[in-house]
Amino acid sequence: MPLEPPLALGPFRLRVDPARAAAYARETGGDGASVPLAYPAVWLAEPSLFSVVSDLCAELDVVPVHESQSFSYDMPLVAGESYDLRVTMSREATPPRLIMAATVATPGGESCARFETLLRLVPRAGLGSAS
Amino acid sequence: MSGGVKVGDTLPETIIGPFDAPSLARYAEVSGDANPLHLDDAVAAAIGFSAPPVHGMKLLAFFEPMLRAWRGDLVISSLAGKFVQPILRGDTVRLSGRVLRATESEIFVRLIAYGAARAPGIIAEATLRVHPSLAGEGRAAKPSVAG
Repeated sequence: MPLEPPLALGPFRLRVDPARAAAYARETGGDGASVPLAYPAVWLAEPSLFSVVSDLCAELDVVPVHESQSFSYDMPLVAGESYDLRVTMSREATPPRLIMAATVATPGGESCARFETLLRLVPRAGLGSAS
Repeated sequence: MSGGVKVGDTLPETIIGPFDAPSLARYAEVSGDANPLHLDDAVAAAIGFSAPPVHGMKLLAFFEPMLRAWRGDLVISSLAGKFVQPILRGDTVRLSGRVLRATESEIFVRLIAYGAARAPGIIAEATLRVHPSLAGEGRAAKPSVAG
């Protein structure tokens, strides 16, 4: 059950940097011929977005642990093109989780992709005994 | 469906890694995921790992080239994974895949990544579809047994 109303973030206008997409492909076994399906994960590290996560984790004294990730595409992303990213962030109490549901669209509003990130919020105090 | 893919078909097993510290550092830099858990032996040890775990996203992303090598004529429309157990730096990683459902319009594949542990590190799934430019051109085969 959600702890509070979801937080809507964005839109963020983000570009698929060709050099970064090629480097991401190299580090994940790809040939760089296309933008990797998992590439939007790099956008989660954008300061405008990740600062919300890091601030929340600091407030709760928890560490985010990546629990699951999904990507679903209507059309492939194109290197060099810009997209609008919208993120809905919500929290669940049991187990403690942060859910980030994102949509990616062209600047004209055409849907390209959706992705969802589940972060388990682990109390920092309990990490020392984790296995 | 496409090209005679049937429920129960297995993808050629793919071996990746082992990933060393520079490899994890490069991924951290390109992805922006600089969590010290993946980069700092002391942080990993404090949590009880013998070595830093490889970024789950890095491993999940490796399924894409595996799928393309298997059936480059199909479009991967979705990829999802659960990171169920850490795969550690230095582990050789085995990627496997099996077709769970095959219809006229799509193929659903179960994907698993194994590290040194016997239990799966990542349990994933992907959906593949006929490329739009090939749809309706008689390139799709007859439907296989639907799961």
